[in-house]
Amino acid sequence: MDFQDKVVLVTGASRGIGAAIARAFAGEGAAVAVNYLQNTAAAEAVAAECRELGGEASPFQADVTNGDEITSLVGGVLETFGKIDVLVNNAFRPYVFDPENRKMFWELDWADYQTQIEGALISTHGLCKAVLPSMKMRTQGAIINIASDLVARPTIPYHDYTTAKAALIGFSRNLAVELGPFGIRVNCVAPGIVYPTDATRDTKEEIKDMLIASTPMKRIATPEDVTGPVLFLASDWSRFMTGQTLYVDGGLVMN
Amino acid sequence: MTQTQIIDALLAFIAADGATEDEFNSLALKLFVYQFENNLPYRQFSLQRARTPRTTKSWRDIPAVPINVFKDLTLSCCAPEDAERTFMTSGTTMGGIRGKSHHPTLAVYDASMTKNFKQRFMRERETIRMGILFPTEDIMPNSSLAHYLALAVRHFGTPDSNYMLQENGIDFALVFDALERAEATGESYALLGASYSFVHLMDEMQRLGKSFVLPAGSRLFDTGGFKGQSREVGPDDFYNQLSASFGVARRDCINMYGMTELSSQFYDWGNEICPSVKSGPHWIRSRVINPLTGLDVPRGDTGVLVHCDLAHFNIVSTILTEDAGVEVDDGFLLLGRADGAEAQGCSMAVEEFLKAAQA
Amino acid sequence: MTERAGYLPGLAADEVEWRVLRFGRGIETLEIEVPVLSDAQMAALAARVRDAGRHHLKTLSTARIVNIIDQAIARLLDRDDPYRRKAEALLPVVTGYDGEMIRLGLTGYLKTFRKPELNRFLAEDFPNPGILDDFQPIAKGGVARAFGPDILVHIWAGNVPGLPLWSLISGLLVKAGNIGKVPSAEPLFAGWFAQILAEIEPSLADCFAIVWWKGGDIVQEKALLKEAELVLAYGGNESLAAIRSRVPVTTRYLAYGHKISFGMISRAALDVRKATTAAHQAAYDVVRYDQQGCYSPHVFFVERGGKVSPRDFCRYLAHELASFERKYPRRALTIAEAGDVAAWRHQAELKVLSRPEHEIMGDAEGAWSVAYVEGDDDFAPSGLNRTIKIVAVDSLADVASRIAPYKAFLQTVGIAAPPDELYRLADDLGRVGVTRISALGQMTAPEAGWHHDGRFNLLDLVTLTEIEHSAEAVSDSFAPYVD
Repeated sequence: MDFQDKVVLVTGASRGIGAAIARAFAGEGAAVAVNYLQNTAAAEAVAAECRELGGEASPFQADVTNGDEITSLVGGVLETFGKIDVLVNNAFRPYVFDPENRKMFWELDWADYQTQIEGALISTHGLCKAVLPSMKMRTQGAIINIASDLVARPTIPYHDYTTAKAALIGFSRNLAVELGPFGIRVNCVAPGIVYPTDATRDTKEEIKDMLIASTPMKRIATPEDVTGPVLFLASDWSRFMTGQTLYVDGGLVMN
Repeated sequence: MTQTQIIDALLAFIAADGATEDEFNSLALKLFVYQFENNLPYRQFSLQRARTPRTTKSWRDIPAVPINVFKDLTLSCCAPEDAERTFMTSGTTMGGIRGKSHHPTLAVYDASMTKNFKQRFMRERETIRMGILFPTEDIMPNSSLAHYLALAVRHFGTPDSNYMLQENGIDFALVFDALERAEATGESYALLGASYSFVHLMDEMQRLGKSFVLPAGSRLFDTGGFKGQSREVGPDDFYNQLSASFGVARRDCINMYGMTELSSQFYDWGNEICPSVKSGPHWIRSRVINPLTGLDVPRGDTGVLVHCDLAHFNIVSTILTEDAGVEVDDGFLLLGRADGAEAQGCSMAVEEFLKAAQA
Repeated sequence: MTERAGYLPGLAADEVEWRVLRFGRGIETLEIEVPVLSDAQMAALAARVRDAGRHHLKTLSTARIVNIIDQAIARLLDRDDPYRRKAEALLPVVTGYDGEMIRLGLTGYLKTFRKPELNRFLAEDFPNPGILDDFQPIAKGGVARAFGPDILVHIWAGNVPGLPLWSLISGLLVKAGNIGKVPSAEPLFAGWFAQILAEIEPSLADCFAIVWWKGGDIVQEKALLKEAELVLAYGGNESLAAIRSRVPVTTRYLAYGHKISFGMISRAALDVRKATTAAHQAAYDVVRYDQQGCYSPHVFFVERGGKVSPRDFCRYLAHELASFERKYPRRALTIAEAGDVAAWRHQAELKVLSRPEHEIMGDAEGAWSVAYVEGDDDFAPSGLNRTIKIVAVDSLADVASRIAPYKAFLQTVGIAAPPDELYRLADDLGRVGVTRISALGQMTAPEAGWHHDGRFNLLDLVTLTEIEHSAEAVSDSFAPYVD
């Protein structure tokens, strides 16, 4: 896969899945905009790794839930790299995945839902809108939103989180219809639990074993496992796919 | 880099014996950064092509500015009023509008010209007696060719070299006098000028039944083609006639290919065979491309010439010409202006429309 | 592979000098042998056609001729017919156009020459088509009969497949002896049609001929022109003027020059649902024969005020062109054609630098380009080969005055607008020289009986012989049965 001369913006790319995605694109020759919120050192490290891998990269600090910051983020990327071919909406609001101490439905307030829905959608909505003019002008573009396989199979019912990710998939499908006539594709990648990331660092071995037992491929996803489908959906190889969700969970979800 | 740093780097680069691909590339990319940062229209042009220095790793990827852009935009990294000199095109090829090239200093242009001229025209000689069939720099301060020829005379001409073109045309008596003297003394002689001036001169010689046999070591220099200033002559006829009129072998008739939009020139090693192979010094590189895709055409195919001239540092280094060429070993063949296509159907084409609308 | 072009009744193949034209598309190559006739052969050919035309074609009824043409067209519409197969196999190699596009284009085009459509052709120009067969009463009194020329010379141009059929069939309908000169860009189709006609009706075999000479060969051209009674020529103004200068002064000359066509999209066609349809149709008009037709659009004027802005329409159109590139890839361009497209793109790019509200879009390979402009941009031809300009306007009503200076070059306008606006626009456009208004998506497929460039296809070819009322009345007095 060749991303030479392609420009990719990955949100939340200073760590975890986002960092893995950034590195994977850079490894194929892309210029990567490494967006991050707080950890400048980590983002710079990811950018440096990207360059070592043969790509071009720069860190871009921005709170992607803030409209003004989105505007200056996209403007900055365009000034630096000239265009945006691929947008990967990976950033999400922090969430504690704790199967034993999760909140049950009757413990959740509407505000909990609202926090997650906003976390998943405000940034995606804002970024999609912000990159649109430059993508439209070039009648091409790929947007990839990172969802979760919990939408299809809520092994553990993280109500607020999963509802938000389900909304994200619905959002993506509608957007795919709207942007198809402009040559812009919108797809989702829905990983299962990914280990290790900051969000899953404390997941108990027992839980992991339980998941592994019911996963056909008999292991848990690594951040690098997620990158392949993301690159595929960003590439010309998937040029006639839009509105799709690819599950990356070793076969836990099949549909 | 600052302008001073750029100039110093260029002077050093030109002074060197040669350059590897990496060395050329490295300076070309630094120049692109400099021009991208200091030349706003070029920056916009590059962004429009989705190119920035960050995504450009090879001089081949630097956006080439189509030559006709020079007539519409001020492409300069310095304020035009700060330029030491501004060269303008003659306006014959762009519908009367003159393209401009601003030079904050002529140091780089002059270094490029003199080193290259020495290697390609003077070769083993340090000086030669010159006759210039072109106006002086004073008469044409905006002509890059006038400046170029002034440099030639200043650096390589003997003190008795002179200009032979007055405001009312070629001073034939002066020319014949000089040529006769050269014949008599056996001192080798160089006649330099625009291609069309040679046609005028040879027409007059034919009228008078005159011809010369210049001494060994003499050479002729023509440039620029005919531009509607004289009758059009095919290259073989032209050099045959030159050779017969002045007694200079075709291999000693050197044609220079240059333009206002560059600060370096290309030469051939004589015109024994036409079209001759043109090449430039180590600070300019050329590509033969498909003008639509910007990609190199297969070697041996005809395409359009792109030049990356590091010496043209203040404007844009990389330009897309309207000249057709073919890449060969050691350079390229220049095939003249790239023509428009013949109509395939009954749909009107731009050129025909413009002609019809003027009629 | 080798194919022989032309149709030369009375001349054996070995008497004729043949020259080879080479064509290639991808790995396919084709050599076409074209005939180079001597002056004597040209004269003999003309004499033969003139003679056969007088003795055979002119004795047939128009209805009979319509039947013969209808049969020939039926063969070309039959995908199993050897000629049709040859057309589908060879024309893509000759012209470079996508094979599927040619196949669909040919079928659509040929359908306009079947019997009912031919009758429409006749009815368009002659209130009573019987006038081609016999003397018929005319409105002013007396009777008249229409005669086609003995030798009608066609000088065709361009590579749009099948184009020569239009005038050749017109010539046959008026019973003219036809000699057509095919262009080097597509020398085959006219010859095949002639061969089919001869197979269907052998008695007509000598009534037409298809010849070739290298464009600009004055000697050959003159040899034929002096035989002509009427000359029909296609091409650019320069070549038309050159031909005109060589046509004998007593010979009538009809010239069809290069034209510019364009489209207009009303705000009424730009709601969210209809806009993508309009973009699809507009793109189709651009893609068909890569804008080489006189009816192909160079510009679309798009009205502001609809739900979808002209700018977004432009992007829809761009995506449609990208999609069509996968379906019907553009023909490979010569370096000169690529240069023309590049020059057009560079010009548009340059405009964007001074007018940032303008846009230029296109794929990296240069297979298509779309320029978006606002304001009073000059009306001018596109760079052809799928380069199109979108001009945003406040009102389509303003367009006619903008294009008025170009009256001599205007032809088709594809319009998407509601009925009252359609008529209003048509009236304004007609005044400034537009001769054909079609739906979007139909610009490159004129309907049967279309008045090419607003002229009469058949009427322009004939001369009338009138028997005035006086002659008729007086003749009575000489009748043997006079009382």
